[in-house]
Amino acid sequence: MKLVKTLSVLLLIYTAAAGILLEVPRLPILNETIRVLYFHVPMWFTMIFLLLLSSFNAYKFISTKNIKYDLISYNYAHVGVYFGVLGIVTGMIWANYTWGTFWTNDPKLNGSAVGLLIYFGYFVLRNSIEDESKKAKVSSVYSVFAFSMLIPLIFILPRLTDSLHPGNGGNPGFNVYDLNSQLRLVFYPAVIGFICLGLWIANIKFKLLKLTDKR
Amino acid sequence: MINKIFSILYKDLKIEINQSHLFFSVGLYVISSIYIIYISYQPTGILGLEHWVSIFWVIILFSSITAVSKSFFQESGSRNYYYYFVLSPDELIFSKLIYNFLFIVFVTFLTFLVFSSLLGNFIYSYSFFITLLFMGSLSISNCLTLISAIGHQVKNNSILTAVLSFPVIIPILLILIKLSKMSSSEFSWNIIQDDFYLLILLNIILIAMTKILFKFLWRN
Repeated sequence: MKLVKTLSVLLLIYTAAAGILLEVPRLPILNETIRVLYFHVPMWFTMIFLLLLSSFNAYKFISTKNIKYDLISYNYAHVGVYFGVLGIVTGMIWANYTWGTFWTNDPKLNGSAVGLLIYFGYFVLRNSIEDESKKAKVSSVYSVFAFSMLIPLIFILPRLTDSLHPGNGGNPGFNVYDLNSQLRLVFYPAVIGFICLGLWIANIKFKLLKLTDKR
Repeated sequence: MINKIFSILYKDLKIEINQSHLFFSVGLYVISSIYIIYISYQPTGILGLEHWVSIFWVIILFSSITAVSKSFFQESGSRNYYYYFVLSPDELIFSKLIYNFLFIVFVTFLTFLVFSSLLGNFIYSYSFFITLLFMGSLSISNCLTLISAIGHQVKNNSILTAVLSFPVIIPILLILIKLSKMSSSEFSWNIIQDDFYLLILLNIILIAMTKILFKFLWRN
């Protein structure tokens, strides 16, 4: 955990400094807003990573019936959804400057919005059951089921159609035009930094959850 | 195993025919909602293909949620208790899957019949569209069966089943709407194959997840 915390602090300081100061490729339409790559995309990576951990722990709960795993799963889902909301908000601010509107009918936007709806449904389900062991069982089953539907929604469906996002459908992208990998120099550390931050928050929240949990 | 699946299926269908009110209520639900659409689109009727396809699938979605959410609730507590001793969870869930599939096929074709007689239709390649209706019913029933089993565990269940199933069913509905729009022109396998394979893949995922997860959900 100490390594995760140190990595998180160091890499995020580096991301914030280098993400604003370093040279970026000049691309049409995007211009300086290309720097949002360092902050918006890692949010999604972190969300997927935390939700994966959540559904993995949910499966562990239903196969071992140890209530601890259910708490861990709930906790990761909670933090993952925070990152998802942050991803949507940063994306909306960026979209307002480049596309001229906060929200469009883009397959990636639809996928992420629906993905968040699935997890809001998960929280509604948890709150509507009184009995603790039943709550853990039913919500774990839903969590595993919902995550298996999230994968095609986020990773497969958007790739079948053109998207407005950079890199899709003839829009200037990062991989094709970024010849000397300037963006990768900050992007990969940013992803690791934000994932570490997510794990750190989840760790603190789990301690709090254990203290407030009356069982 | 096959014998047991079919005997439960037979029992369910027999109950369905004896207490035909569920059957008729879903039919009435479909017909009245289509009639509301018909009235609200007067005097011109639906002019565009986009409107036709999206309203068509939305009606199917809502009526199948109403139909499927009932499939677990008609089992009483003592009958469930009896099932624990004579059945394995796989047998029960597969019979429910087949039962829901049959029910949703009925809903889908009723919707198609009433919808096209009242509001006209834009379909050109019928054989493809009918295949699509079967595939759509299969996907919707695979998706909703486990959700309705989850909803069965919760007390204020009917609204929860709807809330939980909407987000999960959206990827399927997106593909179905996209494919239905293509059936208004000459059929060509090249255009639809990607989406069709994706639909089959989603069905495999859904059936696998339902089979794996139901046995954890079943026993109290």
